[in-house]
Amino acid sequence: MEARLVNLSDTISVRRLGRLLRRDFSVGYKSVFIAMAAVGGFVILVSVLSALGRELGPIHFQLYFPLLFIGGFIVTSMIFKEVHLNGQSVFYLTLPGSSLEKFLSKLLVISLGYAFGSLFFYTAVSSAAEGINRVIFGYGHSFFNPFQRDILLAVAAYVVTQAVFLVGSVYFRKLAFIKTSLYLVLFGIVLTIVVAVVGWIIFHDFAVGSHIRLEPYMEELGRSGEMEAVLRPMAEKFLKIAKVLFWGAGAPVCWIISYLRLRETEV
Amino acid sequence: MTDTGIEIKNLSFGYTKERLFSNLDLTLESGNIYGLLGKNGAGKTSLLKLICGLRFPEAGSCSVLGWQPQYRPAGLLEDIYFLPEEFYAPAISAELYRQIYAPFYPRFSPDTFQEYLREFELKGGKKLSEFSYGQKKKFLLAFGLATRCRLLLLDEPTNGLDIPSKSQFRKLLARAGEEDRIILISTHQVRDMENLIDPIIILDEGAIIFQQPMYEVTRCLHVELEQVQPSGDGVLYTDKTLGGYVVVRKNISGEETQADLETLFNTVIANRDRIGELFAPAGMKASAGGTASGAAAKEDA
Repeated sequence: MEARLVNLSDTISVRRLGRLLRRDFSVGYKSVFIAMAAVGGFVILVSVLSALGRELGPIHFQLYFPLLFIGGFIVTSMIFKEVHLNGQSVFYLTLPGSSLEKFLSKLLVISLGYAFGSLFFYTAVSSAAEGINRVIFGYGHSFFNPFQRDILLAVAAYVVTQAVFLVGSVYFRKLAFIKTSLYLVLFGIVLTIVVAVVGWIIFHDFAVGSHIRLEPYMEELGRSGEMEAVLRPMAEKFLKIAKVLFWGAGAPVCWIISYLRLRETEV
Repeated sequence: MTDTGIEIKNLSFGYTKERLFSNLDLTLESGNIYGLLGKNGAGKTSLLKLICGLRFPEAGSCSVLGWQPQYRPAGLLEDIYFLPEEFYAPAISAELYRQIYAPFYPRFSPDTFQEYLREFELKGGKKLSEFSYGQKKKFLLAFGLATRCRLLLLDEPTNGLDIPSKSQFRKLLARAGEEDRIILISTHQVRDMENLIDPIIILDEGAIIFQQPMYEVTRCLHVELEQVQPSGDGVLYTDKTLGGYVVVRKNISGEETQADLETLFNTVIANRDRIGELFAPAGMKASAGGTASGAAAKEDA
């Protein structure tokens, strides 16, 4: 007799996904509330102090970004912590739910959940802070507008970039945030070296000592009209491809890697 | 391969290049409370983890209730409850635990759960973090039994339980044994499992060297307390004890004597080849507790 086939209902069920989400919330809500209280207190304090010093710049815009990105990356790095802890890992992996459901429940919480949760939370806290400022001083900073284009763009960028830390969370047993950050720095260094070497190989004819001087060549291209006709469209095409890769491919690739790693996890 | 039992065929697995299991065969049938015995490092916990999909076989097949556990399908996990030796109990109240986790198990019985909690003298409103180690374990055991999963895997379940709790545990487990359920208990505490686990599986050096129901043990082995240490070919095992020597021989008289699990384990470990020969014909007849198997057992036979 053949082994039973895993069908769609064993792989994904909205009901089981809901149970996993409910479980994550029920077990972790206290830590979330404590973190919210700490961040809320900090935001109000900074807002009041800067109003007191009459520094009325776009403070909430500046405060929200670290909360969204740094806070989000730290939380993302911890999202699969239980997969790496003795006892908890057995408990979590044998919890009735497919690997896909377990992955999706965490992904929803940490991407859309964190992004919109932090947006809603920050709007409320900054409004409270500005209310306090206006009551105490009669003036305050401008209100935080969650529908501002830059804010919404940042939220979208967070949803994409946090996927890298999600991979780190599944892979690294300990210090996932630090290790992922170090890997990113390492990747940046390697990429810089590769670009430098490739640049040197391509443009070594324009080398003057240890530097590449492209100015005379560029001027010549500008004069001949090739800059506008050839280079600009090429650069625009590259930029377009980079944008598509960033917004469309980066996160899904990281999600697939994370899911596969979770599915292959042995304890 | 059935969708009610466990069938492991030619399974190979290891943590290093040196394999822990090589061509392991094991068949477990529903309606039994199996006892998995073995020395430290024999692979008992690894076997349990392979069965519930926490470890993946390198070669061979493992079918659990008709599923391949390495994919950890939700349908299988709904029917498995694994209580490891190092368990996790979240810092929430017992009642909240039930509310959160019971819906994951379609056959969970709240009434049975309450009954087991009462028997273990546990209060549902208390936080699990306020429970002692033994209480947490009893709570998780009660929950696991109440899930009415078809496969219950327990790794050293009586470690950390006090004397009355061990007795309660035996009673509850004896009651929990159902026709469609397999209970597999890995343990060193053989005295706690006396008269509960049957058939007995002994794992040694990565192979199943013994898998027999207790009635076959009684039929094939004769255990006696003697004053003088015996010698000779007929003696399988002797152990000095209070009041004399426990002596295990091949049962040729047909008289029924009871071998305790510790004596049985030591006899099997000390006489792998001879036990294999002694039980080989019986093993073929024995069907109630599954089939005797394992690479070593095959070699011995």
